[in-house]
Amino acid sequence: MLKYIFKRVLIFIPTLIVISLMTFVISINAPGDPVETMLNQNMGGDGQSGEKLANEQTYIDKRKELGFDLPLFYFSFTNKTYPDTLYKIPRKAHRETLQRLSYEYGVWENVGQYYKNLQKLELKVFEVMPNEENSSKLRKIKDNLSSLYLTYEEDKIKQTVENIEFDIFKDKNIKLSVEKEFFDFKNSYEHMLVDKKTINRYIPTIYWYGLKNQYHQWISNFVVGEFGISYQDKRPVSSKIFDALKWSMILSILSIVIAYMVAIPLGVRSAVDKGKTSEKIITTGLFLLYSLPNFWVATMLIQYLGDGDGLGWFPTHGLGELPETAPYWDRFFETAYHFILPLFCLTYASFAFISRQMRGGMLNVLEMDYIRTARAKGLKKQVVVWKHAFRNSLIPIITLFANIFPAAISGSFIIEVIFSIPGMGQLTLQAIFQRDYPIVFTVLMFSSILTLVGILIADIMYAFVDPRISFSNKKS
Amino acid sequence: MNLFNIFNRRKNREAKTLEMQNNNESYWKIVRHQFKKNKIAVYSLRVVFIFVFIALFADFIANEKPLVAKYQGSVYFPVLKEYAVDLGMSDWQKEFRNVSWKDLEYDWVVWPPVPYLPRNIDVMNTWVGPFDDQNVPSKRWKHWLGTDDLGHDVLAGMIHGTRIALLVGLVSMGIAALIGIFFGAIAGYYGDNRLKLSIASIVIYLVGFVLAMFYAFGTRSYILTDAIGTSFGSFMWEFLISIILFVAIMVGFRYLSKLIKKLPINFKEIPIPLDILISRLIEIVVSIPQLFLIISIAAVVAKPSIFIVMIIIGLTTWTGIARFTRAELLRIRNLEFVEAANALGYKEWRIIVKHALPNALSPVLIAIAFGIASAILIESTLSFIGVGVPAETITWGSMLSKARQVSSAWWLAIIPGFAIFITVTIYNLIGEGLTDAMNPKLKK
Repeated sequence: MLKYIFKRVLIFIPTLIVISLMTFVISINAPGDPVETMLNQNMGGDGQSGEKLANEQTYIDKRKELGFDLPLFYFSFTNKTYPDTLYKIPRKAHRETLQRLSYEYGVWENVGQYYKNLQKLELKVFEVMPNEENSSKLRKIKDNLSSLYLTYEEDKIKQTVENIEFDIFKDKNIKLSVEKEFFDFKNSYEHMLVDKKTINRYIPTIYWYGLKNQYHQWISNFVVGEFGISYQDKRPVSSKIFDALKWSMILSILSIVIAYMVAIPLGVRSAVDKGKTSEKIITTGLFLLYSLPNFWVATMLIQYLGDGDGLGWFPTHGLGELPETAPYWDRFFETAYHFILPLFCLTYASFAFISRQMRGGMLNVLEMDYIRTARAKGLKKQVVVWKHAFRNSLIPIITLFANIFPAAISGSFIIEVIFSIPGMGQLTLQAIFQRDYPIVFTVLMFSSILTLVGILIADIMYAFVDPRISFSNKKS
Repeated sequence: MNLFNIFNRRKNREAKTLEMQNNNESYWKIVRHQFKKNKIAVYSLRVVFIFVFIALFADFIANEKPLVAKYQGSVYFPVLKEYAVDLGMSDWQKEFRNVSWKDLEYDWVVWPPVPYLPRNIDVMNTWVGPFDDQNVPSKRWKHWLGTDDLGHDVLAGMIHGTRIALLVGLVSMGIAALIGIFFGAIAGYYGDNRLKLSIASIVIYLVGFVLAMFYAFGTRSYILTDAIGTSFGSFMWEFLISIILFVAIMVGFRYLSKLIKKLPINFKEIPIPLDILISRLIEIVVSIPQLFLIISIAAVVAKPSIFIVMIIIGLTTWTGIARFTRAELLRIRNLEFVEAANALGYKEWRIIVKHALPNALSPVLIAIAFGIASAILIESTLSFIGVGVPAETITWGSMLSKARQVSSAWWLAIIPGFAIFITVTIYNLIGEGLTDAMNPKLKK
């Protein structure tokens, strides 16, 4: 038994690695620049060169602090146009443009030179003191320059470069101070165009980056329990998740306990009474309940029983707003009162599902020969059902029991969102909308781990219910 | 050559007779017969046909343009014409460009039963219910099922929403079935030790796979992402090119491995544990909470689109189908007719595709029926919370979510929700009917 568990846990490891890779791939492709989100900073910007430099420096420092200045993975397998030193470019938007440019023109060195000269030119332009006659010109040049950082289409770049040239040479003052940098920039731009090697796109290349990379950092932090900090309010992810998990756990466990308590007797009854009218009504009712979308039921309940325009029987929002100082039982009842509707919406679907499974399992068992034998030897029907059939009919619903753990995290997702309960569902959805990815990916990893644990527990429980299942030399 | 053909044909006939002896034709007959006995399932199937009809002809049932109209002396078919314009085969006449179709002076005109499109905005009638007084010129223009915050006609939204709901079920389950049947079939048929490859071929296939991925998807990644931005059609086209490229490269490497086999060196053959590998893959996909995964991916996609949602649902729901197919093929591969086909020297993919799979597909149908129900449920959940589905796409779920803004708008709560409920129910009922029909215990 222990050996089996050990083996299963070993098998988890590759599964978890694949899941973590998937999560990581989604996270690095997520739109938006996490560093910018954290600093609430805009790109480009106006102002003086000193300010710009300072901005850039805070950005670079923050990026280093968050570990985004490392390469993404242990290695990269791409085509030859892929810039191997791309991770050194601070801004995410710039990286995307440069990667694209490198793909279009094929030679990363040229594109890198173009980028460096563009930066130099921009800095020089920022050093020019604006006066009354040239300030609008200067503004235009700056806008054009910062748009170049995001442009990769050939004709658009050409147009923008021409515009910049036109504006620079219109004003003597600007021309004098930035002329050299502009020609450097233009030369590198033209060199990039002339030295085009699209054949590089079709040459596969492997770069090796070693252990110092973002994935390694992220996964080793995860293993030791450091999940990072939320971009939004800078609280540690673990404390945010812990706060939310409390409510989701209470809700899910309550709902599952209630569902099992009602569903098992009902399922058994409807299997034993098969063919009776009452049974048919129950079965049909269960089927319809099972197909009812719970977000619809929640919406309807809020409309008709809620405290808005409905009958006002139940609160529909949050968990009550009693202060911490209020007596414990008052707060308890207030919360319980708020729990009624969400709990109902969560429970009915799983309740219907479990009783249907219970019924199916029971029907299968009741057809077995040993049940007939037990009846034939004169045992009471009740005894046969509960003592002989029940235990064997439990097997199918044990698989469902494995769902408790993942359900605790994601099962109440929509219901929490609709009833504004500060649980995992709402936390995750808010994190997704606000692009707070450390939270999203911790939640995703955690719920995957819990699902794996649930599957393992279900497997072990199988053995308790059905001794015929053995763990040694399992054949598939 | 001719002789070879005759030989082939004879082999075909032999296999066919063997298959017939296994009573496969009659198996399907029994399933159909049992299914027909289940009245509720049969009625559900009919309701699906009605939904399919509504989805196919949604443009003719609810549209802002007239079906037929005589305008300034000539007869037009604007709804039909729109198809031609969308396909790029025709262009609107000058007098019809940027016009409000309702306000044109027709000689005579036939409007569709519902003279609105879901996106039409009626500022005079916002938040009006079916029984409220509506500010419309005549009953012809009444909003029979009310409107929402912008005056979108709910009935038109329901009709066009049918199309989206059915498309979600069809496309996502189509993708899921392709992936699931493929993985399930090779896992079940080859098991852990039937596929033996020499080490040299394994290396060649691996290199081939990596290169095929590289040339078909890696170097084309910008082309593909640009195509997503343009339109769904152009994306499918580019994607198809990638797939063809992939297959072509793989076929090339297959010939290479055949050439290597002819070399006088004797490579050791080792069995490939396909079943273990694929079961692990299934476990990975199953252990990620589906709704979370879909919501995270949908939120990450730069340009939300209903088709991306369909693809994601398809990519995450194939495991059930794969398990069914695997279990069936594990059983079928030991049956006589497969063994006979093997003995006759048929190629293995041919045995799988032509002989084994057709007999394995019936349980897969059950998984597909239930899968469609859950796909529709997932899509409406996503539209309900507003993730992944663009705001301007009107679906049943997005209409239902509007009921949360104004709680007196009962029609927005009841009607779309009921439609989702009915659709999910009938697909579940069909799945249930299929399960019963294939249950060997019921066969008398």
